[in-house]
Amino acid sequence: MLKNLFKSTESYLLIVLLAFIVVVGFINPKFFTIENLFDLLRSSSGMAILAMGFFIVLLSGGIDVSFTAIAISAQYIAVNSLIASGVDNLAVAFLIAVGVGIAAGAINAVFIGLFNVPTLITTLGTMSLFHGALLEFMGTKAVNTGGLPECFKTFGHFDILNLTRADGTEYGLSVFFLILVIVVVVTWFILKYTQIGRGVYAIGGNKEAAKRAGFNIPKIQFFIYMYVGLLAGIMGIMHVSLIRYSNPNYIVGSELGVIAAVVIGGTRITGGRGTILGTLVGVGLIVVLEKNLVLIGLSSYWHQFFIGLIIIIGVSITYLQNKIRSKKNLIFVRDT
Amino acid sequence: MSEAILDVRNITKTFAGVTALKNVDLKIDVGAIHCLVGENGSGKSTLIKIIGGVLQPDSGSVTINGVAYDSQNLRAIEAIRGGIQIIYQDLALFPNLSVVENISMNQMVEANDKLIKWKEAYEIAGQALSRIEEEIDLNEKVENLSMAKQQIVAITRALTQNARLVIMDEPTSAITREDVDHLFRVILRLKKMGIATLFVSHKLSEVFEIAEEVTVIRDGNKVGDYPAGELDNDKLTNLMTGRMIEYKPYFYQDTEPEKPNLLEVRNLQKSGQYEKISFTLRRGEILGITGLIGSGRTETALSLFGINPPDEGEIIIDGKPVVIHSTHDAIRHGIGYLPEDRLNQGLFQEHPITDNIVVTVLKRLLDKRGLINSEKRKTEGNRWIKELSIKTPSGENPANSLSGGNQQRVVLAKWLATNPKIFILDGPTIGIDIGSKSTIHDIIRRLAGEGMGIIMISDEIQEVLQNCNRVLVMYKGRLVREIPNAAEADEDDVFAAVSGTSGGV
Repeated sequence: MLKNLFKSTESYLLIVLLAFIVVVGFINPKFFTIENLFDLLRSSSGMAILAMGFFIVLLSGGIDVSFTAIAISAQYIAVNSLIASGVDNLAVAFLIAVGVGIAAGAINAVFIGLFNVPTLITTLGTMSLFHGALLEFMGTKAVNTGGLPECFKTFGHFDILNLTRADGTEYGLSVFFLILVIVVVVTWFILKYTQIGRGVYAIGGNKEAAKRAGFNIPKIQFFIYMYVGLLAGIMGIMHVSLIRYSNPNYIVGSELGVIAAVVIGGTRITGGRGTILGTLVGVGLIVVLEKNLVLIGLSSYWHQFFIGLIIIIGVSITYLQNKIRSKKNLIFVRDT
Repeated sequence: MSEAILDVRNITKTFAGVTALKNVDLKIDVGAIHCLVGENGSGKSTLIKIIGGVLQPDSGSVTINGVAYDSQNLRAIEAIRGGIQIIYQDLALFPNLSVVENISMNQMVEANDKLIKWKEAYEIAGQALSRIEEEIDLNEKVENLSMAKQQIVAITRALTQNARLVIMDEPTSAITREDVDHLFRVILRLKKMGIATLFVSHKLSEVFEIAEEVTVIRDGNKVGDYPAGELDNDKLTNLMTGRMIEYKPYFYQDTEPEKPNLLEVRNLQKSGQYEKISFTLRRGEILGITGLIGSGRTETALSLFGINPPDEGEIIIDGKPVVIHSTHDAIRHGIGYLPEDRLNQGLFQEHPITDNIVVTVLKRLLDKRGLINSEKRKTEGNRWIKELSIKTPSGENPANSLSGGNQQRVVLAKWLATNPKIFILDGPTIGIDIGSKSTIHDIIRRLAGEGMGIIMISDEIQEVLQNCNRVLVMYKGRLVREIPNAAEADEDDVFAAVSGTSGGV
């Protein structure tokens, strides 16, 4: 067990993350407080949830870049619907957002599962399609804190655990963390214990073999992209509740960070291989990096630079490993 | 008469007007070990797919385990439920998943449970493996297994679906001799369980080793069923090709004994692959190198061609020591290399035949502006198409429009165009029909006759003995035997050297 732990990619990653945290903590002792930890969890749970979705897509051998467009669409439509109808109810907001997310995911799945369009092309197209439609039909006006229904603000401030600071004021662990835990457990359960979850691994490993084994591949793909849509919908509501502001141009553009987190988390870009733990550590690494760049004296533009670097390096490692393995077997052509 | 597990009658199948199978029958008894042989394009694969319900024939009937199907309506799932399991060459395994999942997956999917019962999966896999007396770590990922072990996993998976007939498509093409023996033992165990095997192979020696009954098809027609005991190599070749192919040994005469060796290799070494390899090659010689997969034969050849640089040792061409660190170096020194895996390494499948031929000599085809002269390109392409009798209406057709034998000639042409002094052919006739094989052999002899030095690598002992004047045998990375006069060598003796079972090595 212990031997296995040291062999896995996740353990290396965990070491990198811990080393990074030690460095950051050394520069900024405040980093090591529970308050800071709670803060990080509150602000990064949404990203981690998106990462869970992208992780499943990558595992199946696909790519999805439309999930941020889905998240913002779900959020903006939910917020505006609540305002327009005068209903101030979080459950309704979630229902709308999740509904929008699943529907958008189903649109992706129609192209991918039924027409066999490559996943990257499909989602590049739908990313633009979803976001363009949102701006055209729902408008471009941001909803500010004053106009935002109360339920979002309450949700954003809801803590599941409260602690008291030395000065008597309180801080707490956000309910967002609980949602993340639920999403992680559900995703883990689906992947490990359901037929459809094993199907995700199967089509990521060998699509032709999966077909011959009798898996219904379009059905699995519908599940994957609708699940991503569902998670994007949940994240959309969490996001507006966190920042108490809904701008239809937010979230879109942050997909590369999520992709980098999953890739550096050890999930192979070629599909079939990866773990939830790795993905979570990957998210941790990206978040700590993002929050602390300024702290170590770099401008926040470096964030973009590092995200790109991480993706390139993460993907290169996979291909280098393939190359080394091929060389061992005296295969000198690139395998697909 | 014993009971039949499969009875196929009068199968006819046409593709776009071309008849692939014509009134073919095939009957396999319960527990039989049956072999289906035929040249490439004879219709073997089409027949297998029809039996498996993957393809629907134009007419004919398929009876599986006593249940008659209108073959046009036989679906894959019905064939599987009837006990037919086909193991294709690619095995259709999941490299990223564990052995337990690979074995139990099909059954789990078939049962259509929403949830996975891991305990049950382990039981299914463990029991299936113990039924054929095999042991493989259930938790190991399939990608970490050898090809032979992966094959066992695929066979074991077939057992979990109540297989009564296991069809194996060319199962021995990618595994070592030792593993072939192992596979044969597994097939015999299957027989004990009453499971029949239909073995599709083009390696004739294996057919005699394992089969009880042999069915030969040629050009979509069934030639006949024969008890394996009544056939021998020549007879079977004759049945498959419809003609007698006679082999004349290749005799070599050194006409220029005063000249230095064309190629001399001294103490070539690469750790973990081969050691202390020394040999010479003279103009006009066909030197055979044979050995098992992993004996170092291909590794050595790749070293001579610069793809797999050696750790130490000397390569001397025409008396001058040379350094070969890249394919570019090799080509400069006049070495050509025909790869073993021509589909991946030798051809641009979708590009015109002519482009495939001229790709090694593009520099020669340039005009003053540095662009490719289309006239020169065409001339060069047509020259080789004619020279090697490549059967195509036009050089502009894509390479994949050709049959295997003709594709191989395109790869040959590509290297011959570079005008090599030394030509290394690795498995020059792998996957090629017997008929085209002899044409390729004739070309090789002609080239040697014109003064080229040829190194022919093959794991078919017969092939090297029949076509080379001198043969080297490699075993576990070492040269273990040199046979100076191949025509007089004893095949069994060479076989012993190849498998490391002969004394005095």
